[in-house]
Amino acid sequence: MFLTDVVNSGAIPALSFAMSFAARRQTILAHNIANLDTPNFQPTNVSTRDFQRVLGEAIDRRRAGPGVGRGPLQWKETRELRHGPGGSLRLNPQTAASGILFHDRNNRDLERMMQDLAENVGVFRVVTDLLRSQFSQIKDAIAERV
Amino acid sequence: MYGALDISVSGMIAQRTRMEVISANIANQNTILDADGNLSPYKRRHVMFSPGNPGATSPAGRAMGVHVSEIYANPDAIQWKWDPSSPYANADGYVPTPDIDSVTEQINAMEAMRAYEANIAAAEATKAMMAQALRLIA
Repeated sequence: MFLTDVVNSGAIPALSFAMSFAARRQTILAHNIANLDTPNFQPTNVSTRDFQRVLGEAIDRRRAGPGVGRGPLQWKETRELRHGPGGSLRLNPQTAASGILFHDRNNRDLERMMQDLAENVGVFRVVTDLLRSQFSQIKDAIAERV
Repeated sequence: MYGALDISVSGMIAQRTRMEVISANIANQNTILDADGNLSPYKRRHVMFSPGNPGATSPAGRAMGVHVSEIYANPDAIQWKWDPSSPYANADGYVPTPDIDSVTEQINAMEAMRAYEANIAAAEATKAMMAQALRLIA
């Protein structure tokens, strides 16, 4: 299909992968904040560094492949990043988001959680802005005007 | 991402329930009779949280979040007060009263309020992300 070729090329697959990562990570961060006062709860997180490595490797592999920078992104599974149904992303948080162990055996770190949350929203904002500019370029090309 | 909103809402509901229980504890710190007028001092209530949210609308939301698993009325939370003139005093002149420390309850209320605010911050962040994602289409 012509349209899937258009949407599945260039930066769009990488951006949509980053977008779904940030969206899934948001549920984990919200879960940690919701369980701020739950005894015995140990907050978990996913490593953003691992995600960036996986994304970088997938982009490098695509660049080295026959499409030379075109086509969908094939990313490799890690302990935390899993293939879900339909090629979607499923997160399996393993990284301990540990702070000081409190009396109720919960090692929350509220400031760190809030920082992660703000960073995640920022990443999502940047990625969606870039994606929107990509889409508007495609729209301009289809309309044959700038 | 709607799952993230479910999770934050579950946290808000849990903290609100906790706040209601704390209010009930403070309001009843001198209650020694039950609704029928019999001697039965009010038992201090504790809210128990556990992870997971059975009431969520999405499967992702059910697996995560927080819920109140139990509101425990502590039967041992009784303080004997010396008041021999009371009609409810025992043979030694002591009246059973609820063992509720208003300072402890106030501190718990503050903690619940801050945790509620943290959940609101998370929900606001999720809402901003959802608006961003919707702007992709517009």
